[in-house]
This record gives sequence, C-alpha cells and structure tokens, in this order.
Amino acid sequence: MDSTTALFANAIVAGLLLGGFYAAMSVGVSISFGMLDVVNIAHPAFILLGSYIAYTMNDRLGLDPIAVSVVLSPLFFVLGAGLYRVYYLCFEQRGQESLRGLAFFFGILFITEVMLVLVFGVDYRMSKTAYADTTWRLDALDFPMRLVVPFLVSMLMVVGLQLFLSHTFFGRAVLAVAQDPLALRLMGVNPIRVKERAFALSIATAGVAGAFLIVIQPVQPAIGREYIGLVFAVCVLGGMGSIWGTLLGAFVLGLAESFTSTFFGPSWAPAVSFGLLLATLAFRPAGLLGR
Amino acid sequence: MANSIRIDGLCAGYGSVQVLERISLSVNDGETVALLGTNGNGKSTLMKCVMGIVPPGAGRIEAVIDGVPYDLVGRATEEIVGLGIALVPEGRRLFPRLSVEENLQLGAYRRAARAALARNLAFCFEAFPKLIERRKQLAGSLSGGEQQMLTLARALMTAPKILLIDEPSVGLSPLLVIHTIDKIRELKQRYGLTVLMAEQNFNQAIRIADRGYVIVHGRIEFEGRSRDDLSNNELVHKLYMGL
Repeated sequence: MDSTTALFANAIVAGLLLGGFYAAMSVGVSISFGMLDVVNIAHPAFILLGSYIAYTMNDRLGLDPIAVSVVLSPLFFVLGAGLYRVYYLCFEQRGQESLRGLAFFFGILFITEVMLVLVFGVDYRMSKTAYADTTWRLDALDFPMRLVVPFLVSMLMVVGLQLFLSHTFFGRAVLAVAQDPLALRLMGVNPIRVKERAFALSIATAGVAGAFLIVIQPVQPAIGREYIGLVFAVCVLGGMGSIWGTLLGAFVLGLAESFTSTFFGPSWAPAVSFGLLLATLAFRPAGLLGR
Repeated sequence: MANSIRIDGLCAGYGSVQVLERISLSVNDGETVALLGTNGNGKSTLMKCVMGIVPPGAGRIEAVIDGVPYDLVGRATEEIVGLGIALVPEGRRLFPRLSVEENLQLGAYRRAARAALARNLAFCFEAFPKLIERRKQLAGSLSGGEQQMLTLARALMTAPKILLIDEPSVGLSPLLVIHTIDKIRELKQRYGLTVLMAEQNFNQAIRIADRGYVIVHGRIEFEGRSRDDLSNNELVHKLYMGL
C-alpha cells in the first residue's frame, strides 16, 4: 500500500469507528426526539453523567468503564423514567411541552453540568483500561482498541434496539405514540407508560455512550454541550424516528469528519458535518432513511 | 355468552356546553343498533363517553362482557378496550407513518388479542384483499376507502366483543359507503359482535340495523323498536327526507 492509499484507508477505518461511537450517542435522541417528540437537549448531560460514573468506578475500583456502564444501565433507565414523569406532569399534560419543555431540558443540562463541576472539578479526566493503548495493525491499517471496543459494543446496542423496536408490540407502540396517542389508547395501550419506558430506554443508552466517551477521550463537564449539535445532526441526517437512519447518519458524519481531519485539518471537521446537515435539510428534509 | 351495553341518564358536555342530556339507551347481545342523527347532535360525544375519552357529568354506563357486568364510568380508555369494547373512531385515526401491517399488529396489543393475532390477521386480509396488496405501504398513503377498511380491520384486531362505530360513511363515495356497510354486516355475523353504530346516512344504516335511536340536540327523540318502526317514523322523515 502506498502512503496515500494507506492514509485514505485509515481515514475510512477511523471514520467508521467514530461513526459507531456517534451512533451510540445519538440513538437515545433518535428515540426521544425522533419517535416520542420529546426534545431532550439534556441528552449529552446524561452521557457526561455516564462518563463520570464510569470514571469513578474505574478510578476507585479499577473496573472497566464500559462493563460498569452496562451493569448500571438499569439505574439510568429508572432515572429516565422519573425524569419523564416530571416532564409529563409539569409540561406535556398541560400542553406546554414545546417551549417550556425545551427550557426544562436546557435547565437539566446546566444543572447536571454544574453538579459535575462541583463534584469533579473542571479538570479533564480519563479512564484507564487494559486496551486503551493497544492498536491492532493489519498491513497499514490501524485499529486503535480504545475505538474498536466502544464500536463493537455500540453496534450490539444499536442493532439490538432496532430489533427490539421493530419486532415487539412495545416497539410498534413506541413508533406510533407520537402520531396519535388517543388512537393508541383505543388499541388498549397506555401511551404515557409507553413514552415513559421508551424515554427511560433512551437515557439508559446515554449512560453507556458516556462510558464510551471516557474510554475514547478525556472528559470535562462542559464538553456535553459540544455534542448537542452533533447528536441532533445525526438524527436529522439519518431520518427522524429511524434507528437504521441514525446508524447511517452517524457513519456519514464519522466518515466526513475523519476525511476532513485527515486531508484538510481537524478544525474543518465540524463545518463539513453541519454543511452535510444543511444539505440534507435542503434536498431531503425527511433525512436519509426517514419515513 | 352475553355482551351488551346499557346507558342510563347520561349527561355530558365540554366546559359549560351541555352536549348530552339524560340519554338512555341499550344495545342487547348480538344486536346492531343505529344511533341516527345529523352533525352536532352528540353522537360522537356519546361514543367517547362509553370509551372513557369524555367523562360523563352524570349517569351510568354499564357493559356486560361474557356475562360479567362492568361499570364503565371512571375507567381509562385502555382499560375499557381491554374489557373487549372497541371503537372505530370518527376521522379514522390511523397511524399514518406506519405500514398497513404495523397498524393491524398494533390493534392486537392487548393480551387477549395477541393470542388470536395470526387468525385475525388472516381473516382481515381475507375480508379486505386490498389490504394484503398494500401491507407494506404507509397507512397515510392509502385512499379514503382503503383507510376506512383499515380502521375497521384494526378495530377487529383488538378482538372485541362489542364494537362501536362512529360514522363509517364520512368522506366516502356512495358506492364505498354501501361496500363499507356490507362489510360491517359481514364482520358482525362472522364474529358474533354486538354493534352500536352512529351514522347520519339513514338509508345505509337502516340496511343492517335491527333497531335504532334518533338523537336530536343531545336527547333521544325517538326509539325505533324495529327497522320498519324507524323507516315509518315522522321525525325520521322530517330529519332525513325533508318531508
């Protein structure tokens, strides 16, 4: 392999691995925002919370961050269910979800961030894992383990969610609930319970994505905000309410960022991502795989 | 086993607007009862009261399902559906961005219906062959007639004992109305359903109704004890035929 080809091939590998990570961060928003019409802009805050819990367990007890996050995901599920209850009682039930609901989640985002600053400070934290410094080499291709492990777990999680949502009665109810809650009641389904559980599921994915984040890069409390744009961009690009779309959108953005960083420099990467988003909105507003 | 509905002294409204005033009616086991009335007389509100969507101000709504009596007032809609009462709502209320098949599968959400899913789905496709052709298509892209068929089929997927149908003829061409009414009769016979149908198309409704009530400004103005009784009534002539 000559050096240009190697550079090109490595950009593809890095882009796909990055895309897998983006999919894990965005799949929760794809559920809450894309399927439930709950504009949870606090999603990155829960990702960060997941990062710090994984970090604490890793730092104090030497446990693997990703394993910890998977084991503790029921905790995030319960947290999500509680949060949706509050949101429902205070805003959705009264038909005030649009603006006040948005302000509510904005508040949650900042409160979580300030809480993390108070507890952990503003320094960057990093986890220590056995595989973080290992890189597989296949010919000229690099497979850094700190990206490969999150990628694999992310694929399991995203594909598992897609199968769950498309093959179960509950999953179909999740797809239907924002379209017509009353019609869902007429099928004998309680739409509030469906939304509560689906939202809880979305927060559970945030906890796991948080562990990926701290395995991949150092974390400090304010970086959650940097990802708000990214996760919503992935969802819109892929198509609202489609998990396959979110996966595709994540790969497209991952590849775009990887190529831009490789050939034009990292500072251009966000411009290309959001350029892609604008182009999608202009030419295919339903997203790549939107219904 | 017997399935019936009895409504007694039902009053309901929206805010200060009183829509239903002391309505009393009954639907006996295996009957098709028509609730006749022009727009704005309270037919839909009555259906919504039975389904727990609009809370009644006063009165009783009782259903007997498989011989067991239930008081419906104060129960949540999904609970009432769970008992075995289904509503084909006005305006169809399909899930437009789900496929025909997904709409039907959602109909079978309740536990009792899941067991019969395969059989009911096969029957729906047999009764409505158009739906099998379009099973992968989004419900929102169907024609009006096809959507009405899908709404009927989806209600049947909940495996009801009592079926409430709110204005099945709305927005359909005359030929499709005839077809829809024929289908309702066919489904009713096949499943041994007890049916309460609100309709303003008198001539079509009376083809399948055993008897009926005429509702005017929220009151039952006439009770027709048989089909003939209804067709020969003066009030019906005045309201529907301008005589």
